[in-house]
Amino acid sequence: MNKLKLNYTSLSFLPILVFIPLGYQLTNNIHFGGFKLFQEFLISAFNPKIDNEIFITVINRLNETILIGFFSWLVSIIFGAIFGIISSNIFFKIFNIPNFFCRIIRFFLTIIRSIHEVVWGILLMQIYGINFSIGIIAICIPYIAVNSKVFSEQLETIDYKSFESINQINASKFSSLLTIIWNPIINTFKNFGLYRLECSIRSTVILGLFGIGGIGTSIFLSFQTLNFRELWTYLWSLAILIILSGLIFKKIKFNSTNKILSIFFIAVFFITILFSFSYFLYFIFNNNFENFNSVFSLFKSSSDLGLFDFLKLVLETIILSLLSTGIAISLPPLVIGIFNNNTSEIFIKIFAFLLRLIPTPVILLILLTFNNPSLSLAALTLGLHNAGITSKLLFTNLKNQDRRNYIAMKSLGISKKTSWLLGLFSQQAKSYLAYCAYRSDIIIRETAIVGVIGSVGLGWQLKESLSSFAWQEVTIVLIAYSSIAVFGELINGKIKNSLT
Amino acid sequence: MNNTLLELKNISYKHKNNVILNKVNLKINSGEKIALLGKSGSGKTTLISVLNGTIKPTQGEIKLFNKSFEELDRKQKSKITTIWQDLRLIEDLSAEQNVNCGLLAENNFYFAFKNLLNISSFKKAHKYMKLCKLPNSVYDKKIRQLSGGQKQRVAIARSLIQGSNIILADEPFNNLDPKLITTIKNLLLENIDNNHTKKSTKTALVALHRLDFLNDFDKVIGIKDGKIFFNIKRNNLKKLHLDKIY
Repeated sequence: MNKLKLNYTSLSFLPILVFIPLGYQLTNNIHFGGFKLFQEFLISAFNPKIDNEIFITVINRLNETILIGFFSWLVSIIFGAIFGIISSNIFFKIFNIPNFFCRIIRFFLTIIRSIHEVVWGILLMQIYGINFSIGIIAICIPYIAVNSKVFSEQLETIDYKSFESINQINASKFSSLLTIIWNPIINTFKNFGLYRLECSIRSTVILGLFGIGGIGTSIFLSFQTLNFRELWTYLWSLAILIILSGLIFKKIKFNSTNKILSIFFIAVFFITILFSFSYFLYFIFNNNFENFNSVFSLFKSSSDLGLFDFLKLVLETIILSLLSTGIAISLPPLVIGIFNNNTSEIFIKIFAFLLRLIPTPVILLILLTFNNPSLSLAALTLGLHNAGITSKLLFTNLKNQDRRNYIAMKSLGISKKTSWLLGLFSQQAKSYLAYCAYRSDIIIRETAIVGVIGSVGLGWQLKESLSSFAWQEVTIVLIAYSSIAVFGELINGKIKNSLT
Repeated sequence: MNNTLLELKNISYKHKNNVILNKVNLKINSGEKIALLGKSGSGKTTLISVLNGTIKPTQGEIKLFNKSFEELDRKQKSKITTIWQDLRLIEDLSAEQNVNCGLLAENNFYFAFKNLLNISSFKKAHKYMKLCKLPNSVYDKKIRQLSGGQKQRVAIARSLIQGSNIILADEPFNNLDPKLITTIKNLLLENIDNNHTKKSTKTALVALHRLDFLNDFDKVIGIKDGKIFFNIKRNNLKKLHLDKIY
């Protein structure tokens, strides 16, 4: 009997097997009570509410979303770059600092980013109450750490020999550092800036669902009142915002040879740093921290969380991450491969855009209209949302792929689907899997959001513990979350390294 | 009078249990032009890297101006300039920005900043680029857009702009046509000043493969398997010497 041989192409499709247990549980959990609601939700997409009143609300809510999203993006990208530099190997080599300190900084940043912005938001809201600036801070904390990883990874690509040559000129250490890192930093900003802005806006919307303000709050309120037409007005306006921000960002081309533009960006850089520090001081001195003190006293409270229950929640979170990652990896190539024609491509792209656009809690709430809450449903939600993101990447990479192999295969009379699989996708499979390894880091962090809504895993426990001010339990859950995320990041890092 | 600029005493360098340099002793006097000969992989590049302080030897002592490397300040270290075999230019910067990098040692952080923003003066850089026969059209081009020969000349211009007393060059004539080789050789060895009249007393150690260039050097060093086989005046070089190292 022939042995089954796995390659990158088959590995991209293999995770589709997660649909077997998933499908079984989802089929068993179907209830028909909410089908009408689901139908109404779909129809409302083509008939959103448009009147003066909602128009004004949309403008106001979008303003809030833009403000929170933009400021959190600006602060997190600038501080992310700074932390990226000081956590890079090149920084430690130039200043002859022992590598041990580099590892400490990296570990600290890994812990910070392992906790999702929603968790930071809920925690900060519990301490300081609902506040506009809490939204910015909640996004900035993990985003600075996430961006720092992106920047430091780019700095690791610097050719060590060009560093040696600058070092040999015997320039001052700061001049050497600046000369070496300048272009990788600018290029990272150019390549990831827009994507991070889109992420900031999405996070603002998700935090809005938890009451921080902006269009997210409106989306949640209209869902609670089952006003789907209003809900779609908010969703479409959010779509317009994301598309517009993309177009504007593409128009502003950061040309490092344009002197005026360069000076403007440098000014923005320093003003943001100054503003952030002054705001931080203002925040410190304007809060009496009474609630914060109460947090410390509550740490003494006992925990009702039993060991068995706790381990079950940890296991649920891990399974949730694995199932969602399986969907996010395998669904896009499968769907794109099967429906391989121009018309289907447009529909898939629109569907993928909607999956990225609609916040995961809303997708989950919609699916809950005809399915009982379960781990499978939460996994499907998270998987579908992330499949929207991985499919965008796959489409972009396939577009840039050399098509000669594909054309040659088709000319040999091989079917279109097989030619696509062997002539196009097979050449992308390795880099696609490497990106999915990175994506699964994010999926682990996002289990917190679906957990809160979908009664699954540690996310649900976190919500329960926070609601009952059981801070000891909150601490245990957060440590468990961090540990899973850090462990996941380590494994994914190894997978990614083996693929690149 | 002792006019020794650089001195290597019993220098050895090991990398992953491989001996790259084996008890090398060498003195370089002021104004000497030395050719370094040897097969590929004989240790020429490592010797240059030890001489400029990029590689720390596993054993032995290096002295520059009668001081050990650790005792030297940044200004003193900048008296050595290197033209690397693999050029080591910054690909994302323009040719003129790369040449200006040679001025980083004598300028402050603000200069580095202005250079990256393209708002510093490139007057001096252009002068040296012109000396290296680089056409005006390549001044603001990114390194990756240049030909091999143009990149080579940018690296040489970056090295010359440093105004260092000691030039270490690892096969600097690669990628150059015969006419350009003469120009660059004059710049590196005879160090014709800006008025193209006066000769300076700069010191040069140049790793070479082509023996027809040897006439321009005072001394010849032959290296094989990390060991110096001969260190003699050019006039005394015999076929026998070359047979030992090739």
